[in-house]
Amino acid sequence: MLQPASARTNRLSLTFAALLTGVGCGAPPPIDKQLETLASWTATMQLAKERHGAGAITITYATQLRDRADEAFQQASTTIGQSAHTRTDSAYAAAALDSLRTAIRQLESEVGS
Amino acid sequence: MKKWAEVALGVVTSIGGFLEVGSIATSAQGGAEFGYQLAWVLVLGTTSLAILMEMTGRLAAVSQRSYADLLRERFGYRFFLLPLVAVFVVSLLVVISEIGGVSIALQLATGIDFRWWAIPTALVGWFLLWRGNFTIVEQGTAMLGLVAISFAVGALKLHPVWPTLGRALLPSLPSHDRARYWYLAVSILGASISPYLYLFYSAGALEDEWTIEHLGVNRVTAGMGNVFGGVLAIASLVTAALVFAPRGIKVDRYEQIALVLATPLGRAGLVFFIMTLFVTCFGSTLEIVLAIAYLLAQGLGWNWSENLKPGKDARFATSYTVLILLASLPIAIGMDPLTLTNISMVATAASLPVTVIPLSVLMNDGDLLNTHVNGWPSNLALVVIALLSVVLLVAAIPLQLLGGG
Repeated sequence: MLQPASARTNRLSLTFAALLTGVGCGAPPPIDKQLETLASWTATMQLAKERHGAGAITITYATQLRDRADEAFQQASTTIGQSAHTRTDSAYAAAALDSLRTAIRQLESEVGS
Repeated sequence: MKKWAEVALGVVTSIGGFLEVGSIATSAQGGAEFGYQLAWVLVLGTTSLAILMEMTGRLAAVSQRSYADLLRERFGYRFFLLPLVAVFVVSLLVVISEIGGVSIALQLATGIDFRWWAIPTALVGWFLLWRGNFTIVEQGTAMLGLVAISFAVGALKLHPVWPTLGRALLPSLPSHDRARYWYLAVSILGASISPYLYLFYSAGALEDEWTIEHLGVNRVTAGMGNVFGGVLAIASLVTAALVFAPRGIKVDRYEQIALVLATPLGRAGLVFFIMTLFVTCFGSTLEIVLAIAYLLAQGLGWNWSENLKPGKDARFATSYTVLILLASLPIAIGMDPLTLTNISMVATAASLPVTVIPLSVLMNDGDLLNTHVNGWPSNLALVVIALLSVVLLVAAIPLQLLGGG
């Protein structure tokens, strides 16, 4: 988990990036983009688990990947609800969040953290 | 014999110096999202850069003046302010991204957050600039940058589908997500044709005391060096296309990219990736900071040379000192290096006309180049690059808004 000072600078960074990219208008990304991002991080966790199992990546690196996936999970958890306008959207969102949570846990048990 | 040694060194320098934070990130993003399809953009970018480097190198070798110097002299101080400001701003953004790349490499190796590495990176870089000379900056980091060849080894081990890759070297339209495709194309072009590359090359020709006798060396260095460098960038795209695209992985954070080499090459691949990111970004940090300092010094008529003691060109030395420390601050406060990289590559692409269009005038100036002015094939190539730069200027901001998210 991020420390408060890290969270503050992270927020500053995201605000600056949003201003620069012109997306600082408050609306969360569309649901399909968020689902894509969640699926991408789920696949990243699965690949990291596989590569760690094969001895190709260090625990230090796997832990960093886990932390970044966790950040993506936390971010999507707070925004995806606003983008899900139908029951089907909500069901897909819940399934995608669940898949990523499971993949993060599997990597954690693989690296023993 | 000495000439051939210079050619070999020049080519090696170009290979090691081609890959940096922008080309690694944008190639990986392109490969992950569109497979091999964006390979043609790397061919276009590499060819354009080779042409621009050959011309600015020839201009410096024959006229014994740098491109920045001639921009001010031939077009006047008022006009010169336009490329000065544009190149200064985009190069500063790029150098911030490069420091971010070094910091991420150190984070991957140690687990210590990238923010803690930004200022130490700047201090070590400044120390090398202050105490070292042009040879150390140009050749030292570039020779170490040969570790980037691991991308080519990784790509070969993944067994790319050669006919499909061959077809991707020709332009094609995307089947999905057009805005994102063209956004990545512009980012890749920005990473390939950065103005600092040919401004640094032009100043380097004078630092290395090139004359008319070096025109052959210049041609081979600009041509072959960029071809080999371009091959490495394509290898980066290919590894991402073969590791990420089939699994549906998009590159949202730098940390993910290391998996492209850890997959085909195992633990050694992870180590090579970290070394490549560290060495190439650190080398580029020094080159870009010097390129901006050269631009300021040459444009404003100050004493300049990385081979002089700082006391002999105090304003030049002060410029790179302030720049490198300033550029470390955004990373030190935690700005996301990948977001900054993407923004800086698009901004770089948008800034190209102000340095490319004036070059077409200078390269046809008989007073400067005598018999070495451009022939019609070179002029045709330059007109195409100038048109491309105008298209990039017009398209960059709308694509950043539509496809940058």
